[in-house]
Amino acid sequence: MSVDSIALNFKALGPIVGMGIMWYALAAAQADDRPPDTARGAAIAAQGVAPGAPACAQCHAYNGASDGSGAFPRIAGQPDYYLAKQLQDYASGVRTNAVMTPIAKALSSEDAADVAAYYANVNAPFLPLKDAKPMLVKRGEQLAKVGDAAKDLQSCNNCHGPGGAGEPPAIPYLGGQYARYTAFQLTMWKRGFRKNSPDSMADIAKRLDDQEIAAVAAYFQQVNASALAATRPKE
Amino acid sequence: MAERLKPVDVVTIGVGLTGSLMALELAKTGLKVVGIERGAPRFTVPDFQSPAIHDELRFSVRKGMMQDNVKEAVTFRNASDETALPIRRWGSFLPGTGLGGSFVHWNGQSFRFQAADFIYKTHIEQRYGKKILDPELTIQDWGVTYDELEPHFDRFEYLCGVSGKAGNIKGAIQPGGNPFEAPRAREYPTPPMKEPYFGALFRKGAANLGYHPYPQPSANLSQPYVNPEGLALQSCVFCGFCERYACEHFAKASPQTVILPALLKNPNYELRTNCQVLRINLDNTRKKATGVTYADATGREFEQPADLVLITAFPLNNVRLLLLSGIGKPYDPKTGEGVVGRNYCYQTTGGATVFMDESINVNPFMASGANGTMIDDFGGDNFDHGPLGFIGGQYVGAIMTGGRPIEFHPTPPGTPNWGLKWKQAVARHYNHTVLLQQHGTSTASRLNYLDLDPTYKDAWGLPLLRMTFDFPENDIRMSQYIADKVVEIGRAMGGKAVIRGGTKRPYTTTVYQSTHNAGGAAMGDDPRTSVVNRYLQCWDVPNVFSVGASAFPQNGAYNYSVTIGALTYWALDAIKNRYLKAPGPLVRI
Amino acid sequence: MVEISRRTVLKAASLVGVAVLPQSRAAAAPTSAGTQPILYLFLNSEEAAFVEAAVSRLIPDDDQWPGALKAGVPGYIDKQLAGAWGAGERLYRSGPWRPGTPSQGYQLPFTPAELFRTSLAAINKELAHATPFARMSSEQQDAYLTHLEKGGKDLGGVPSDVFFTHLWESTLEGFFSDPVYGGNRDMAAWRMIGFPGAYASYYDVVDRHGIKIDRAPTSIGEDPHGGIHINPGIPAREP
Repeated sequence: MSVDSIALNFKALGPIVGMGIMWYALAAAQADDRPPDTARGAAIAAQGVAPGAPACAQCHAYNGASDGSGAFPRIAGQPDYYLAKQLQDYASGVRTNAVMTPIAKALSSEDAADVAAYYANVNAPFLPLKDAKPMLVKRGEQLAKVGDAAKDLQSCNNCHGPGGAGEPPAIPYLGGQYARYTAFQLTMWKRGFRKNSPDSMADIAKRLDDQEIAAVAAYFQQVNASALAATRPKE
Repeated sequence: MAERLKPVDVVTIGVGLTGSLMALELAKTGLKVVGIERGAPRFTVPDFQSPAIHDELRFSVRKGMMQDNVKEAVTFRNASDETALPIRRWGSFLPGTGLGGSFVHWNGQSFRFQAADFIYKTHIEQRYGKKILDPELTIQDWGVTYDELEPHFDRFEYLCGVSGKAGNIKGAIQPGGNPFEAPRAREYPTPPMKEPYFGALFRKGAANLGYHPYPQPSANLSQPYVNPEGLALQSCVFCGFCERYACEHFAKASPQTVILPALLKNPNYELRTNCQVLRINLDNTRKKATGVTYADATGREFEQPADLVLITAFPLNNVRLLLLSGIGKPYDPKTGEGVVGRNYCYQTTGGATVFMDESINVNPFMASGANGTMIDDFGGDNFDHGPLGFIGGQYVGAIMTGGRPIEFHPTPPGTPNWGLKWKQAVARHYNHTVLLQQHGTSTASRLNYLDLDPTYKDAWGLPLLRMTFDFPENDIRMSQYIADKVVEIGRAMGGKAVIRGGTKRPYTTTVYQSTHNAGGAAMGDDPRTSVVNRYLQCWDVPNVFSVGASAFPQNGAYNYSVTIGALTYWALDAIKNRYLKAPGPLVRI
Repeated sequence: MVEISRRTVLKAASLVGVAVLPQSRAAAAPTSAGTQPILYLFLNSEEAAFVEAAVSRLIPDDDQWPGALKAGVPGYIDKQLAGAWGAGERLYRSGPWRPGTPSQGYQLPFTPAELFRTSLAAINKELAHATPFARMSSEQQDAYLTHLEKGGKDLGGVPSDVFFTHLWESTLEGFFSDPVYGGNRDMAAWRMIGFPGAYASYYDVVDRHGIKIDRAPTSIGEDPHGGIHINPGIPAREP
């Protein structure tokens, strides 16, 4: 699709964008009627939507792996329902971020559905990152698989799946997510700044101390790499 | 020779709902309380975590959380002229065991009984006359009224954080709730759960027929909550593994989530697990308990002296302990005399299967144990029974609690029992089928009772409990009448095929129906027809209280856990404020 | 036919964790559907041949979805019979034994392992004079199973309908249980009906009425890369 036609589409929908929450909710309800267009989503990822939405690839990379710093989350292979919901939450103000909020507001619900579908279907390698301290990873594994009795904390994997692989459609994977990002989100919930998932994630994050947040984040960052190594034949 | 231990103030036999709640309140008063639990200790973390807990084979099919038949079963017969044989594998009902008891793996369905339930005999005779009662029925009043229990219902609901919508606040009918419910002082502690698709389909069909659908009250919470003990619960995630499973999310009210963390912190309380109480010991007068004798996990016997003995062991075990200990006169069905074991009741259940259009994705696996939408138009005495010739009623609803495939794989009538066509029918209908429930009263009958088996024994050499039970004809007529109404709702929901439910005789122990065994140690005002008085205190041995659904003279239409909780708080009130100040009979006749 | 020694036991099966059953043992029972040979711990080759053929009729393959044989149900049944369940876990086993009414349920002294052994011996003995079950046509097999299901036939002390019920229930279990127990291979039975499996958290979507959940199912025995680690020895008791 050419840039002009994207701009044309956006302009046509322009006045409706300002209605915020109601529009995204309606669009989400109708989402089943228009199947998402992954190719169009790829174009949005590569080029953005003018004005106001730079290319997602600038921060998240075209393959969704972002960079290794963890400043931007890995989004490759996240469920499209979850990615679209986050964009919806950014646009409505339920979730806030200085960078993502104006970008999400600049996307139509179809843009959001398309780009979510694109990233949901893209494969990206897990970057070989520096190992965290083994004791920290072990503690994170414990919290992920078992929980913590003293803190009335259930295991992360209950909801986030085996090895944090996620539970589509609504629950994202944690396995392979950058530790810095995971830790930051837990801290945001803990401090009351991240407001979506108030009844589950906020409640859970408040029970974690900084050491536990670091542990869980460190464990999940490396779980895919270590699991892969474990299943390799020993010869 | 049993080793005699140092005396304590209170012993509870069993540490489930009633045992832990009794202990919590009494330990707070400064009494030394020992809880003796035959099963093992277990806690949300690590024991109840997923994915291991989401094992249908282990917990639903093999009944992994339940009492182990190898050690202790129950014998059963439909009528006195048969020989009772052991229930060698649980089927119809599933007695729990272990710390927390069956309140760990219940469904969280949290109704109150109705006002008329507590004065059932008076109410029925006044409204319909004695002639409506079949001659074998032995319904009774409880000796306590709903109004006396209301504050205790309220207290228990707030302990658990029950999610629901009030239908009647102090007499004012509330929109969105159950207009037939007994009046309550205030709203539920948390709002109703989200309504799954099967509930929404039922709601529409029932409303179209002029009934009054409402959200089922649930102890699987709709949102995070901190109870008066300072214990926090989380919100239910609708995992679809509720009854027979423990909750990994701290979302289901259980002793582990709402009582034990506070209780176990109290230095006045001591928990002993893997200890089987063999009997309650009485002194020479046979009117005073001196304590209990139990065997620990190695089989060594101990005598635990106590001033107050609370039997909190689940209804069937309560009655068995009374019989094994010689407390109260055992019921003799031939003469009608005696009280222990009398008025054993169950629950009259059934329901329709509604096959929907294949475009409708019901998604039954997204469910909690108590996320139903239901109507009370046919509950209890909410409709005129005069022309119908039976008493009692059932609630009706779409209350699916999961889509676990070993148990749930419905096929329409005419499908073969196995083979290719069976398999294809299962694949075709699994996600497009709604189960409707009818769940109702179990009327007391002089033919149904509990006693001790003459032949079969448990692992400790003690006689098993013997159950003699069949559904009274009255309850069959009730269930069949309501079954037709359920089919109408199934059709109004858009069901393309509806398989009718309804209960038939004989009662069989081979098919699961309910674990709401009740009665056998009835409460009342008259020692000739009750084992305990209105405070659950044994008439014959005033320092023994038998707490639980064994006290019900007959069973109401609803799941009974919340009513048990209310009765427990009611009995505690009498114990704390009167009994402890002046131990002795609380009711003089 | 090579008889497998029952003592060729997989000791690691009692451990939770990586306990993948070896598929490569040479003396494996012949299988009728060309699947990988199974290491039987309990069933001898004649018993295994009956079980494989019978479950293939109870839940057959079709071109859309595997049936009980491909799902690994014979191996599931074998591991259960070889383990605690087969030996009488959770079964009240004191006598005296008396025939009961239907309401009184199972009243035989046999453990599941004894029940299968006794029944299969009687069946195989009877059919040795005619056509062994595994060599009958599908129609003949269905007729024979129906004949067992109806009852009225004594299998060495086990009424045939009681044996049939045990066989059918074990087949259902092996087909639909979590693959950690060795059946429901590839979770094909769950895929067939759309059951998402052991990891289950639906708060966000329970009120999205009619939404189609088509993610791959998950198992208790699953590692982060989707490999299933089998552990048929999980005891049927509280956690």
